[in-house]
Amino acid sequence: MRSRKTQRRIGDVLTYLVFAVALVFFGGPLLWVLSLSIRTPQEVYITSLRLIPESPTLENYVEVLISAQFSVFLLNSLKLSVAGSVGAVLVAAPAAYAFSRLDFRGNNTLLIGVLALQMISPLVVIIPLYRYFARLNLLDSHFSTAMVYIAILVPLATWMLKGFFDGIPPALDEAAMVDGCTRFGAFLRVTLPLILPGLTSVFVLTAILAWGEFIVPYILLSQPSLLPISIGILNFQGNYAETSTQVVAAGGVLAMLPAIATFVILQRFIVRALTSGAIKG
Amino acid sequence: MTTKKAFAPRELISENRPTLWMAPLLAVVTLFYLYPAFEVLRFSITNASLQAPDYEYTLNTFVSVLSDSVLYKVLRITAIFVVASVVLQLLLGLMIAVAVNRARARRLPGMVFMRSVILSAWVMPGVVIGIVWAIIFNEASYGLANLLLAPVGLGDVAWLSDPNLALMSIVIANVWRGTAFSMILQYAGLQSIPDELYEAAEVDGASALQSFWHITIPQLRPILMINIILITISTLNTFDMILPLTGGGPGQATEVLALHTYNVIFREYSLAGGAVLAVIMLAISLTLTLAYRRLLRSEEAL
Repeated sequence: MRSRKTQRRIGDVLTYLVFAVALVFFGGPLLWVLSLSIRTPQEVYITSLRLIPESPTLENYVEVLISAQFSVFLLNSLKLSVAGSVGAVLVAAPAAYAFSRLDFRGNNTLLIGVLALQMISPLVVIIPLYRYFARLNLLDSHFSTAMVYIAILVPLATWMLKGFFDGIPPALDEAAMVDGCTRFGAFLRVTLPLILPGLTSVFVLTAILAWGEFIVPYILLSQPSLLPISIGILNFQGNYAETSTQVVAAGGVLAMLPAIATFVILQRFIVRALTSGAIKG
Repeated sequence: MTTKKAFAPRELISENRPTLWMAPLLAVVTLFYLYPAFEVLRFSITNASLQAPDYEYTLNTFVSVLSDSVLYKVLRITAIFVVASVVLQLLLGLMIAVAVNRARARRLPGMVFMRSVILSAWVMPGVVIGIVWAIIFNEASYGLANLLLAPVGLGDVAWLSDPNLALMSIVIANVWRGTAFSMILQYAGLQSIPDELYEAAEVDGASALQSFWHITIPQLRPILMINIILITISTLNTFDMILPLTGGGPGQATEVLALHTYNVIFREYSLAGGAVLAVIMLAISLTLTLAYRRLLRSEEAL
């Protein structure tokens, strides 16, 4: 009995040891960048691990937001992510419902086909689309870029929403249909409201993925006023990195903040979406 | 809908058939996946350039890309990057998942905070991850990595400009990014293992290590396999993080397949050459998807 207890205690110590190492490895770089972002140029070059600078400043943030147009980039990212995730949910929801509720030939094969799409690199898709859009004069347009965002997010959204629909007993929408609803009416008024938490999960997760999307806007957009933050910050790093690490750090913090804040606030939804999508299928 | 009636029987568009429900999805898939995939295949057997509108059909591009030693160098770098990232993400993810799961069972505090910090790395845009690590791996003595190693007395390490170290550095950055996903999957997997198994083992006098090897690992096997495939694919497609970190350099030391494909098209303007590389990427994804499907099936059969 005693050895069990010591074993438990050793286990607890090991658990916290893993926590400590993981915290330093995962949290350390974030703290470091945060610390750099509030330093004056002189304090960047000190060779010490001190995190809080002697004279903290918000100067770098002002510079990034105003002279480097980060406010424009952030707004563009917001537009594209919301358009992409709303569009993806709108396209995916009816399809996911059909995969979950309707019995038809090829249901399973099609679903696997959708999964296969998710595995394709956006780079493969964007190569011919670039040429195609160039001819249609659709380069440098938020509209066409958002369409490609939707396309990239749709497989994941369909796959996850199907999992959420599967969790609602079909008897509920069938009952509504017996009461005179059409199937579409039952879908809108009964099933969709029931998977609202699932819809939120999918919306949040796809919006975060869209926020980080890189290849599509990198290839389709070139006008500075249209760029999302992921491209804006890359160009910015190219111009500034050598001379002012502290400003690049402030830009990095601004670019990661919306994604991290959304995630921390809605964490419950995201963890659920991730596990339901990947495991339950 | 009415125009369709002429050639589609009424029941095809009935709301109990999948046709209308699937129509938006199928439209998106056709326009943005099937058509591009077909075009990539078509361009791979041409000599198309990004600058000239005209091209001819030929197999020469395929032959020249496949016989170029650069491709094999790129594939080797990609393989090292993927294998190292996958192994480390899997092990670290499992270790943290076990710790988090244990903390939950024992009601130890700090679990949610822990999970939030690790997942923060995962939700960040890839480009920003590259920028964060470019700052950490700053090769001057005020860079964080060098500051941490200063007591060891190695001097300033060339994290990003030494070819071998650069490859290791992008692996570290990628492990930092991707471990959260493996952790979440493994954690969900751990929670699905029935407690009775452990209780029975305890009654039989098994040590914690023994239950880990004989219960946890076999029970997690299907999820571990799915995990491996999913992170292999996401690592293969990684491209954003590498650009701000090394740009594929020094030389081509960190030019992975996805980045190489981009460079061939948009730096060398060889649309056909890039299409051949894209076909290779497609073939790899397809193979991995088929493996994933087999796994999902065998899991359902259990």
